[in-house]
Amino acid sequence: MIYASLPELPGGKPRPLPFYLAMEEHLARNYPGGEYFFMWQVEPTVIFGRCQNPFAEVNLDFCRREGIQTYRRKSGGGCVFADMNNIMFSHITTSEEVTSTFGRYCRMVADTLRALGLDATTTGRNDILIGDRKVSGNAFYHLHGRGILHGTMLYDADIPRMVSAITPSRAKLSAKGVKSVRSHVTTIREHLPSLSIGDFKSFCREHLCDSEQTMTAADIAETERIALPYFTDEWFRGRHRGADAGPERRRIEGVGEFAVSIDLSPAADSGGIPRIRKVNLAGDFFLLSDLDEELLDHLSGVEYTRGAILEALSPLPVDRVIANLTAEDLASLLAP
Amino acid sequence: MIYYSKTHEYVRVEGDKGYIGISDYAQKQLGNVVYVDMPDLGDELEKGEDFGAIESVKAASDLIAPVSGEVVEINEALSENPRLVNADPMANWIVAVAMSDPAETDDLMDQEAYDAYCAENH
Repeated sequence: MIYASLPELPGGKPRPLPFYLAMEEHLARNYPGGEYFFMWQVEPTVIFGRCQNPFAEVNLDFCRREGIQTYRRKSGGGCVFADMNNIMFSHITTSEEVTSTFGRYCRMVADTLRALGLDATTTGRNDILIGDRKVSGNAFYHLHGRGILHGTMLYDADIPRMVSAITPSRAKLSAKGVKSVRSHVTTIREHLPSLSIGDFKSFCREHLCDSEQTMTAADIAETERIALPYFTDEWFRGRHRGADAGPERRRIEGVGEFAVSIDLSPAADSGGIPRIRKVNLAGDFFLLSDLDEELLDHLSGVEYTRGAILEALSPLPVDRVIANLTAEDLASLLAP
Repeated sequence: MIYYSKTHEYVRVEGDKGYIGISDYAQKQLGNVVYVDMPDLGDELEKGEDFGAIESVKAASDLIAPVSGEVVEINEALSENPRLVNADPMANWIVAVAMSDPAETDDLMDQEAYDAYCAENH
């Protein structure tokens, strides 16, 4: 298997989750011959399944408060919480045959853990256990005749935070979509406290891969282009219809109702974060001045993160363009 | 007449209407289906583009439109009972479209060609 290695960003900063999902797609679409593997980590992020309703399965209020990012993936299954102590494993296969491919992959990963002396086994649910507790959950996505398999590998875990992030604030039993299944988890560190996360990753890589291919600037540019749809509100919300899918238009008390549309362009600096091309706001808010000229045009080219938007808004007279609106509210409206 | 795509969707053509679903081979591959993510009535499907997703206990797959056209019917029974796709994928189509170009079936496979395609690829 070929290890797909990615040049690090300055300071070893991770890219946002959509970048890595897009890298899987890029390898599957554009490198038809090979079987690939790579490992990656992200800042705290909840990743929910293809057919899940985030309003029913994720504690979005908690995530927003804690600065935890939330994204929908294209593979199936339930939601997972990942941070820098969770290593995501991605495997791109030449076969789209699910059962045998999935089984083979999970056995390979379990075998890697056993080589470290751990009592690792696979389950019919595509989990990998150490003893009787889950250390890795895996999902499969078909893409143009190929398979993308990916999963979590808990090196260490902040369990209370994990549980808070993926426990919805109130039960929405009637909501449609795939439900998450909770599992008792364990971590690599619990069993091998003296093995560092870096050494663990090196071991996995050497055990699973026999060659390496480094992503070029062109690969990264294409990956960033593929990543764009993952950042959109439309993809986040999915196709779940009905009242349970949360408000389409967002309301800010004392300001009004907003419908937001954002056009993004790929990241310009290989950091994986797209930039805003154009923002449109519609709604029943009270406009005091020229919306585009005074406010929204200033956001073109800004990184699509709440922090960067807030920074770009700081010199602007937000409440003199839209009555009673604060820069904080506008930033969280644009980057929920 | 039933036609199949390489990505394992079928379209059963009745007049200018096309009933789109996934093949028996595809449902066997996927195993127990847990959710079918369907488009809305009135959505325009474009041949070769995804129009939804199907998720099983094992995997998620995009649904790729074998023909273009406006969605005129949705098999609502699947939202309550997605396992119907496993029970009888041919009877349990996912959406019906008003086909905008009947010639789009020309590059699809008939039953015999599709059976050979499945046998050869797997």
